[in-house]
Amino acid sequence: MDGPSKESDVNLKSILNSPVKYLSAPGPTPEKNPTTFNIPAIDLSCSKPNPSVITVIIPGVVSGEPHTNITLQNCVATVDLFTTLDLTLINARTRNTEYNPTRFHGVVMRIREPRATALIFKSGKIVCTGTRNEHDALLASKKFARIIQKLGFDIKFANFKIQNLVATCDLRFPIKLENLNHMHGQFSSYEPELFAGLVYRMIKPRIVLLIFVNGKIVFTGGKTRDEIKEALENIYPILRSFRKS
Amino acid sequence: MSSGRKCKNCGSADIEVDSARGDAVCTNCGSVLEDNIIVAEVQYEEGTHGTSTAIGQFVSADSKGGSTKFGASFHVGGGLESRELTLRKARNGISLIGNQLKLNQHCIDTACSFFKMALSRNLTRGRKNTHIHAACVYLSCRTEGTAHLLIDISDVLQICCYELGRTYLKLSQALCINVPSVDPCLYILRFASKLEFGTKTQQVTNTALRLVQRMKRDSIHSGRRPSGLCGAALLIASRLHEFNRSIGDIVKVVKVHESTMRKRLIEFGDTPSSALTLEEFMTVDLEEEQDPPSFKVARKKDKERLQKLMEEEADTFSDLQKQIECQLDQTKRRVGLPKSLRKLEESEVQKFIHESTMTAINQIIEECEDDPDYVHSGTKELGPNMESIGLPTSLQDTTNAPQTQENEMNIDLNFDDIDDEELDSYIMTEPEFEIKKNLWHEINAEYLQKQKEKEELLKKEKEEGKPEKKPRKRPTKRARIGPANSAGEAIEKIIQEKKISSKINYEVLKNLNTAITTNTNETVKVVDQASIEKPREDFILELVTKKASKSTKSKLKDVGLPFIESEQVKKEQDTKEQQESYVEQEDGEDYFEEDPDKHEEPIGEISVLQMLRQHHENEIGEDGYGYDENYEEDDY
Repeated sequence: MDGPSKESDVNLKSILNSPVKYLSAPGPTPEKNPTTFNIPAIDLSCSKPNPSVITVIIPGVVSGEPHTNITLQNCVATVDLFTTLDLTLINARTRNTEYNPTRFHGVVMRIREPRATALIFKSGKIVCTGTRNEHDALLASKKFARIIQKLGFDIKFANFKIQNLVATCDLRFPIKLENLNHMHGQFSSYEPELFAGLVYRMIKPRIVLLIFVNGKIVFTGGKTRDEIKEALENIYPILRSFRKS
Repeated sequence: MSSGRKCKNCGSADIEVDSARGDAVCTNCGSVLEDNIIVAEVQYEEGTHGTSTAIGQFVSADSKGGSTKFGASFHVGGGLESRELTLRKARNGISLIGNQLKLNQHCIDTACSFFKMALSRNLTRGRKNTHIHAACVYLSCRTEGTAHLLIDISDVLQICCYELGRTYLKLSQALCINVPSVDPCLYILRFASKLEFGTKTQQVTNTALRLVQRMKRDSIHSGRRPSGLCGAALLIASRLHEFNRSIGDIVKVVKVHESTMRKRLIEFGDTPSSALTLEEFMTVDLEEEQDPPSFKVARKKDKERLQKLMEEEADTFSDLQKQIECQLDQTKRRVGLPKSLRKLEESEVQKFIHESTMTAINQIIEECEDDPDYVHSGTKELGPNMESIGLPTSLQDTTNAPQTQENEMNIDLNFDDIDDEELDSYIMTEPEFEIKKNLWHEINAEYLQKQKEKEELLKKEKEEGKPEKKPRKRPTKRARIGPANSAGEAIEKIIQEKKISSKINYEVLKNLNTAITTNTNETVKVVDQASIEKPREDFILELVTKKASKSTKSKLKDVGLPFIESEQVKKEQDTKEQQESYVEQEDGEDYFEEDPDKHEEPIGEISVLQMLRQHHENEIGEDGYGYDENYEEDDY
């Protein structure tokens, strides 16, 4: 980049990498903001922490690019309430639900804070999706459970589990997808006729990466941050070697 | 024939082969094992009018032999072996596609062998035939490097291109075929020939090829469909050679959208090569390679965002300043005002703060165009709510491990940390509830009616004693068997695991100890009646299969139930007699204990016999299928 000095450039780059961070910051009472409040529990090494951003320091990175930020984009969690639910009642009593049994056998419930959508099934199982990180997923599922409890169901809250994390990151260098596909044929598939990105199925950790020519990566199928981090650490040297210079 | 052969039916090695008649007979049981022995030499026979014909029959190259004619098709009614039939069908399907695409025979053969590989790995299961065939064809196209696109094949078959793509990817992955990436150059000639360039086709093609090469060096091709690239190159080439081809003309041939073509053209326009004249372009190769266009765009966006963010930063600071002032104002007023007023004011101020931050945040969001999803993170409830929403520290650790302890705590906590007011807003009042309920019932009346009918039907069936429909069995790998608690269990598990024979109804075996004891007691009375209870029927069937001799084995599957019933009567009489004798000899309790053993013995025999049968069936081939299926149908 031109213009600003190198140091601030780096800072701004990290800002660019995590737009979420910027949005949660202007809250009026930052020290009371639960998202920032809770961070220490999660493995974060970022100076301006945001629960949806993971900072990974990659070995062998050229100077001026101290780290790469992974931004969590979506988090899917399940929880079991251990009771059978009357879906028609839930639907009728709440204003934030949809229930269309001809199309889908569960109630779709939404809340605004944290923004999340839940699929509530008759068996008492809830799938909570649309949240940005694990905290929000837990908080949201608790809220969903609470709403159901308020409707008069005798519920438990058990087996909370993160099922899937979707994250993105930008490596900021172009990648030669053909060559990568050629060399890693057993893990990857690259069919420009079907999809613009290269689909890389990593075995360990078991994560699927979508790698695009402009250096952006989407991680999916991970259950923990560490898995995603590990995946990036694994793939980075490979991608580096396929850098189009 | 070789003396080491064994009779299919009795296992005897005494087989007499008469090469003159061309048959093989077992001297032990008398069954004809082969009536058409294949001979090495070609023989001719003379027809009625002096014509001579070759003796014998043609056997196709991929036939496994054995089961081509009546004699060998002992188990299956139809002539061909099932797998052979599948392969033949596949060959037909593949050649059909191949002919439509004007593929050469070599490609079709490759596709067929891909299909064979897929079949042997059970990849064809659960997929449509046409998809598998098409995927095989495409796979061979790719490996052979022909100028065919996935969309051509899906066009021929009128199937979804992406679904076909999925099948193709699955196949190539599972068969470990490392397919080379598509080269857009391959398609230039094909598209060019469709554009009616006449005698100049070759020249235009060459230019277009050179253009595509250049685009490839500037990485315009990666992540893009080859057809779009070819279209752009052909358009430029045709114009360079003074043909009046419009984008529309090209679009019709290459089948991409106009806007896509335009984008490709613009992208090429951004590279330095586009500045060259025709002569220069054909002679000069620029050393410099460009970054992919999407990368350039991303960097450009970054720069813009950076700029905007810096501006925004200043804005947010002024906003924060405002808020602080407001807060200060609030605290000042708090000193002087009575409580009731203070409260009112407080809420108003809160509202104001809320609004001002909201506007600021929304501004930023609008500017950060790429993530519209963040909008809602700005609509947070403020102040005190934040605190109450805050999660207890123990809940922060949301690692993947099952958190039983924490979850229990959640139950105890009873969601104290959650702001109820917010949640209450989601719950409706009584009149609202009534309205929504009625509305829902109105909308879903049809569904409810259907559901009701379904339930009634089920209830009816239950009352009539119809068995519940069993879901279709899926071939799944059984979980590895752990240590057994008892010897009996261990044996059961071994039987389960090894599946000695597919002909044995293991459910019945399992029930022998329990069900039969009770059932046989009843049978004494039941026998007179025509109706027989189901578990017993199964049991009898087992006995029947044992009883059925080699000759009747084939008959059994054809005749099916009637045959069994005739046998049943006999068998029932047997059991009746047995039981009667039992009743005479002993009193009730003992007989209960003894009985199972009595019945288990014949079962044991059966399984051994069936084991043998299964064994020799395996020798013959896979003909067992038809029989197997029939058998299972009889069971239920």
